[in-house]
Amino acid sequence: MLAYSLKKLVQLFITTLGVVTLVFFTLRLIPGDAASAMAGDSLSGEALERLREQMGLTKPYLVQYLTYLKGLASLDFGETITTGLSVFGLMKSALPITLIIAISTIVFTVLVSIPLGTLAAFMAHKGHKGLDNAITGTAMVLDLMPGFWTGLVFLLFFSLKLRWFPASGDVNIADPASFLQRIALPVLVLSVTQIATMARITRTAVLEVLGEDYIRTARSLGWSELRVLFRHALKNAALPIVTVVGLSFGSLLNGTVIVEFIFNIPGIGSLLVNGINSRDYQMVQNLIIFYALIFVSINFITDLVYRKLDPRVKF
Amino acid sequence: MAGSLSLGRSAPVTLRRANEGPMRPTSPAPPPATQVRKPPVHRTGWRAILANRKTQIALMILVPILVLAALLPWLPLQAPLQTNLRAMMKPPSLTFPFGTDRMGRDVLSRTLEGVKVSLFVGFSVAFISLVFGVVLGTVSGFFGKWVDRAIMTVVDIFLAFPSLLLAIGLVSIVGTGLIPVIMAISLADIPRFVRLQRSLVLSLRTRAYIDAARTVKAPQWWLLTRHVVPNTIAPLLVAASIAAANAILVEASLSFLGLGIMPPEPSLGNLIRDGQTYLEQAWWISTLPGVVILAIAISLHFLSDGIREVLDPRSRK
Repeated sequence: MLAYSLKKLVQLFITTLGVVTLVFFTLRLIPGDAASAMAGDSLSGEALERLREQMGLTKPYLVQYLTYLKGLASLDFGETITTGLSVFGLMKSALPITLIIAISTIVFTVLVSIPLGTLAAFMAHKGHKGLDNAITGTAMVLDLMPGFWTGLVFLLFFSLKLRWFPASGDVNIADPASFLQRIALPVLVLSVTQIATMARITRTAVLEVLGEDYIRTARSLGWSELRVLFRHALKNAALPIVTVVGLSFGSLLNGTVIVEFIFNIPGIGSLLVNGINSRDYQMVQNLIIFYALIFVSINFITDLVYRKLDPRVKF
Repeated sequence: MAGSLSLGRSAPVTLRRANEGPMRPTSPAPPPATQVRKPPVHRTGWRAILANRKTQIALMILVPILVLAALLPWLPLQAPLQTNLRAMMKPPSLTFPFGTDRMGRDVLSRTLEGVKVSLFVGFSVAFISLVFGVVLGTVSGFFGKWVDRAIMTVVDIFLAFPSLLLAIGLVSIVGTGLIPVIMAISLADIPRFVRLQRSLVLSLRTRAYIDAARTVKAPQWWLLTRHVVPNTIAPLLVAASIAAANAILVEASLSFLGLGIMPPEPSLGNLIRDGQTYLEQAWWISTLPGVVILAIAISLHFLSDGIREVLDPRSRK
């Protein structure tokens, strides 16, 4: 297990380095550099040249690259081009908000989708097609609803019509009550897609297990259906479910960008969109790298959990 | 009805089909539940794909939308860019089935105009990623060694980004507009196709018929073009129709965030973005185009399910 983890860790490191390199050099490929993009038409040739020097853009690419790597390693992400604030500082205040939203979504999703998927599998197994079809059909439609559209529909219905949740206002973690009210709807919107995916996967995984001999044995021992379903079937169906929880983190990160935009929440997704709109490459570059880093780390953890759970997988 | 165009390998089914023949024309008694199952005939080819129930559902949604979008100039609707100050923010009615926006533009005709863009994006992305995926994946899987390692390293780096975020990052470099958006989404999609094609090729490489062709000294290009690639088409088509649905959703998301196709060029995403400000006063501007996106996405998924069921009988339940 340790050797395997180390091997995976080295792979993780190489991928991360690849990501950083790719992002760095791609941004240098664009016509016009960061200085001219930032200045627009407002600076004369001479002033632009001074700005370039100031930003270190006149040095050779390799030197810039190494300086950048050194900065990353010491968590110095530089300053935003437009406002001059520290990128790290901005990320530090935005990240907890996004993380809380993402993690609440995962918890809520697991709580709803696993019982739902198991129920659908049980119904399918028993030959009660009706309820199974209803669950799987609904899941498919929910899964394909564009996140931003679901967001707007929920905003319209729950915030503007029913007035259950505030649609705007401060997002302050220090004030838990108002914070929760503010993030409840975004979490709900994100969960819709996630629940749909997860319920489908759970259904497939459990349905497959329900045909196994040990399930019949458990039944013949007189265990109740519920116990068989949750203690025996679900436990053995856990592997694919864990994998999907990990993999769906990517779509979850995609989704946070959208809901933060719709519900006006100052998380890292909003930083990204604002960064692009104000052509703040320093910001965008770091955020994209950061997202990739979260994503590969989650995949790494999923992989380890998977191996831990399945004794059949050899190291 | 046997002579249908065959995709990939076709199973020897003629015998079974002959056996099953007489049972078909009339079902004497009301069939019990077990008899509703499909006959054990497995046909491949376009005709079989069209006969599949899921494909038919897909086409029943997709074709009307396509026809309406294509006939847009001849429909009795106000032109997409035509403003009408006497009909601003009107709710859905007979003259304006989807209502009008703040400048009195017809939301339905704008939606149909957006559908054209969406479908163009969807199919271009599916096609581009398919072509690049097939070429790179085949090379990677068939030749192995350092070529494989080099291609897969790059693929892994690309797959380290969540898909929409990669597209967002790429758009921030290549800029907004129709062609950049197609480029960005394709670039984000190609690695997935390379992976898929590579794994398909790897599993084919050791098949007996490839060995057989090798023993008679078939040249490499012959092996690849006659034996390897044709046998990967089926799963690739399934993946491509899902990729098209995905691309439509990603394009809409990008345009919604203001990073994709910019107004006045209409796209379903920027239509919805337009209506966001007036959500409370005019709900129809944002919600109705979304229903159309959803319908298209659902139909493309049904299409991919249909193709898979026909081409891979094991996936039927």
